[in-house]
Amino acid sequence: MISFQNVTKNFGSINALEDITFEVKDGEFVFLTGPSGAGKSTILKLILHEILADSGKVLFDDVDLSELSVKDIPRLRQQMGIVFQDFKVLPERTVSENVEVALAVSDVPPDEWDKRVNHVLKLVGLDKRANLFPNQLSGGELQRVSLARALVINPKIILADEPTGNLDWKTAGGIMELLEKVNKEGKTIIMATHHEGIIKHAKHRTIKLDDGKIIKT
Amino acid sequence: MSIHTKTAVDSIKRSPFQAISAIFVLGLTFFVATMVAILVFATDKTLTYFETRPQIISFLKDEATPELISALQNKLSSNSRIKNVKYVSKVEALEIYKKATSDNPLLAELVSPSIFPASLEFSVTDLKLAEEVITDVKTEGIVADVGFTANIGGEKSLSDVVGRLKSISTYVRIGGITFVAILGASSFLVLLVIISMRMTTRKNEIEILSLIGATPAFIRSPIVLEAVIYSIIGVLSGWTLALILWLYASPSVISYFGQIPVIPRDPILFFFLFATILGVELLLGVIISLTGSLLAVSRSVKKAR
Repeated sequence: MISFQNVTKNFGSINALEDITFEVKDGEFVFLTGPSGAGKSTILKLILHEILADSGKVLFDDVDLSELSVKDIPRLRQQMGIVFQDFKVLPERTVSENVEVALAVSDVPPDEWDKRVNHVLKLVGLDKRANLFPNQLSGGELQRVSLARALVINPKIILADEPTGNLDWKTAGGIMELLEKVNKEGKTIIMATHHEGIIKHAKHRTIKLDDGKIIKT
Repeated sequence: MSIHTKTAVDSIKRSPFQAISAIFVLGLTFFVATMVAILVFATDKTLTYFETRPQIISFLKDEATPELISALQNKLSSNSRIKNVKYVSKVEALEIYKKATSDNPLLAELVSPSIFPASLEFSVTDLKLAEEVITDVKTEGIVADVGFTANIGGEKSLSDVVGRLKSISTYVRIGGITFVAILGASSFLVLLVIISMRMTTRKNEIEILSLIGATPAFIRSPIVLEAVIYSIIGVLSGWTLALILWLYASPSVISYFGQIPVIPRDPILFFFLFATILGVELLLGVIISLTGSLLAVSRSVKKAR
C-alpha cells in the first residue's frame, strides 16, 4: 500500500530523512517512533503530499506521489483519514458538523450524511455529544472527533500523528482501543508516536527512526 | 441549506460590521448607478422628443388654395428627410392659440381665425438636415414664412439646439459613468479587503480543509458565496431606495417637464425600466463580487496547498 524507496528530504542544511526505505502492507498497523525531530511527522507529510521528497520515491497503491498533479492532491487525501496531535477540529462547527465536513469534501451525497455520522459518532462514543461545540469538549473527546472525521469517509489508510500526545494515559488508552478496533476491521494504520508504553502494549510492527534514519524496522 | 451556504451565512453573522460596510458601499454604488441610469434615460428621451416633435412650421399665404396646399403636403410627405407632415387650418391655429392663452381668455376673444395663417407642420428625420429643408421649403410659392419651434435655452440657430442637447446628453453619460465607475472600483476594493480579512481569520480552517482533501473550489465556495450575498443585498437595497425616490418624485417630475417624456408615464413601462436596470445591476454586482472574491481567495488557497 505505502512504499518508501530511498527517500531523502532536507530542510535547508537539516537532513530530515536520509535514504529511507520501508513498506506498509494493506491492513497493517505500524508505529513510527523515535525522539522529536527524528522524522516521523516528515514521513506522514510526504504520504499526505504536504511536502515532496528531494530524492527517492513515495508510492501509494503503486502510484508515485511525485508524479501527481496539483489537482490530484485532494483526491489522494480523500483516500486517507488523518488524526492530528492538536486535533485540528473546526472550532465554529459542532461535533456532527465537523464530521459532516469530511463527507462534504469527499462528495458523499448529503442524504447519506446522517446515517454515516451517527454510526461513526456511536463508534467513538460521542453520539450524545453530537451537537456540542469543540470548546465544550475535553481533549480526549476532541481527539475522538478527529478520529470520527477520519473514519467517516471510510479511508484506505489512517495516518495518526501523535494522536495520544496531548492526552492522559487513560484517555490515550481509549483512543488506542478505537484504533485497534478500526485496524481489526481491515484499515491500514500508520501512527507516529514516542509513547513507549503504547508501543509495548500494542505489540505492532515498529519503525524506529533517529536523526532522519531508520534504525529498526 | 447547503454546507457552503451555511458557512457563508455563519461568517456574515460572526462579523456583522464588515458585512454592513460591504453592503453599505455596494448599496451606495448601485443607488447612484440607478439614478444615473434614469438620468441617461431621461436625457435620451428628451433628445428624442426634440428630434421627433414637429420642429418646422411653414406658414402658408392666404391665397393658397386647398389643391396647392394638398400638392405641397404630398410633396413634403414624399421627401425622405421629412416626416409627420400635418396640415393646421386657420381655425385649428386659433384653437391652439386659445389653448395657449387659456389663463387669459380675453386675449382669445379679441382675435378671429382670419388673422392666423394656415400652416404645414413637420419634423425632420435628423435635426442636422433642418436648415437645408427650411431653405428648400421657403422657395415654395405658397409658403409665406418658415418657423422653427425647438428653440430652448435662448439658442437662435438649429445647430445650437442640437449641439446643446447633445452636449447635455454627453455630459450626463460621461459624468455619470465616471462617477459610477469610481464607486464601482471602491466597492470592488472594499470587497477585496473584507474577503482578504475573512481568509486571514479562516486560515486554520482552510489548512484543515486542505489536509482532509478539500478541493480549491470547495474551499472558496462559501467565501465567494458570501461576496455574492453582499452584492445582491447591496444591489437590491440601492435599487429599492432609488425606486422609492423616483416613485415619490415622478408626479412632480412629470408635471414639471410637461410633454417631454423624461420618465415613462405608463406604470408598466416605468416598472419595466426599473426591472431592466435591476437585471443589469444584479449582473454587474455578481461580476464585481466574483472577481473580487476570487482574486482575494486565489492566493490563500495556493498557500494552503
